[in-house]
Amino acid sequence: MIPLSNYLIVGAALFVLGMIGFLTRRNLILMFLCAEMMLQGVTINLVAFARAHGNLHGQVFTLFIITVAACEAALALALILMLYRRGHTLDVSIWQTLREPGQEETVDLDAPPQPPREEPLPHLTPAGTAPPAGDREESYV
Amino acid sequence: MAVFSDTSTLIAGPWRFVPPLVLAAASVYLLLPRPRGRSVLWGAVCGIPAIALGGFVCFRSDGAVFPETFLFYSFSTLAVTGGAVMITQPNPARAAICFALVVMNVCGLFLLQAAPFLMAAVIIIYAGAIIVTFLFVLMLAQPTGFSDADDRSREPFLAAFAGFTLLTAVLLLLDHSYPPVKPFVELLNRVDVARSQDSVAGIRNALGDGQAFLNDLGREFRQAPNQKLGKDWKDAIEDLEPELQKKDDRVDVAALKGHLATLVAVGRDIQKAKEVKPLPAENVAALGRLLYSDYILAVELGGALLLVATIGAIAIAGRKPGRAAT
Repeated sequence: MIPLSNYLIVGAALFVLGMIGFLTRRNLILMFLCAEMMLQGVTINLVAFARAHGNLHGQVFTLFIITVAACEAALALALILMLYRRGHTLDVSIWQTLREPGQEETVDLDAPPQPPREEPLPHLTPAGTAPPAGDREESYV
Repeated sequence: MAVFSDTSTLIAGPWRFVPPLVLAAASVYLLLPRPRGRSVLWGAVCGIPAIALGGFVCFRSDGAVFPETFLFYSFSTLAVTGGAVMITQPNPARAAICFALVVMNVCGLFLLQAAPFLMAAVIIIYAGAIIVTFLFVLMLAQPTGFSDADDRSREPFLAAFAGFTLLTAVLLLLDHSYPPVKPFVELLNRVDVARSQDSVAGIRNALGDGQAFLNDLGREFRQAPNQKLGKDWKDAIEDLEPELQKKDDRVDVAALKGHLATLVAVGRDIQKAKEVKPLPAENVAALGRLLYSDYILAVELGGALLLVATIGAIAIAGRKPGRAAT
């Protein structure tokens, strides 16, 4: 029999990893995946407590968490699609205009990346003689 | 001997959490993506010992059988490793696959805790539906402009520091509220042996140093699972203490043995209260019965929530951005 505290430790570790990911990552989809990972940590706790107390209430609670997570995923995906259509990127930091009044804007310390240099199109040297200007088509045959 | 006791406090005391947690925080900090390239090598060098040391230091094994322990260790290691790789992976598609790995291993942990229905449900819903939908959106929403958002992280140092400070607090709390059971069992066995002695000297010999024994008893107060048993345990110690501190020729042997017997009885009660009660045998049937009797209102509410979320998602996603502005 594995002691209850071991499961609680695994749940805490998953929760903390999800929290760090949610705070640091800038991709909207990854942020939501990190939130789901925090929920996974919580469900481990609930199932472990259900086992330790010998009843199924914790497992029922986990089922409801899954329900709410499914709703959350549907709404999050719809919102992400909406934001993507407006901003054409999944980067969350372009939505800084939504911050609270009086809050400073976050500025990256590292310089923004240089866009990749586009290869210039090749210039072909003109060949042959220019056709004579005139409104009548001439034949050289 | 002093050196030995020092190392034992280093292994058993709360300071033992520091090395693995510092290593893990350093590993996450080094591995988080950044524009000038993350250092995978140094991150792995810090991360692998952190996980091994953390497992060694944090987990308790109280007479567990082999296959269960092995499965628990492998599932939890894979889950935590997968989670760390997921949050530090610059490529979002690979991160989603790593999240699927985490979900699978969490399902393994569910199975170890006698929750087969939840295991199936979580695999189907998370790994089967949610992650696949996220991957679809990830592929649909390929950024058109040049962006390095996935190669940048916001405040990696502060986030790793805050996260692992929280984890340290949780671990210390768990360490305090779930004390190891083994010393308690050994203590009860010692009292049991002392109870069967006939002379005061024999009892004192079996109990060892009187004050240290009383201190041990007081420390094991944490084992009590509820207030009533805790009070019983405290009362038993308080009854025993004056009798134990008398001079040898003034001790009433019968009374002392009676107090020791009370102590053992309370200790056995505590052990019995902490024993794991069996779950109902038919998991799905019992879960269904509970859902549709005690939790029927919550089930209805959950259904309503799902319906509202579906309508809301369609309403949000079906809107054209041009028309939405007006």
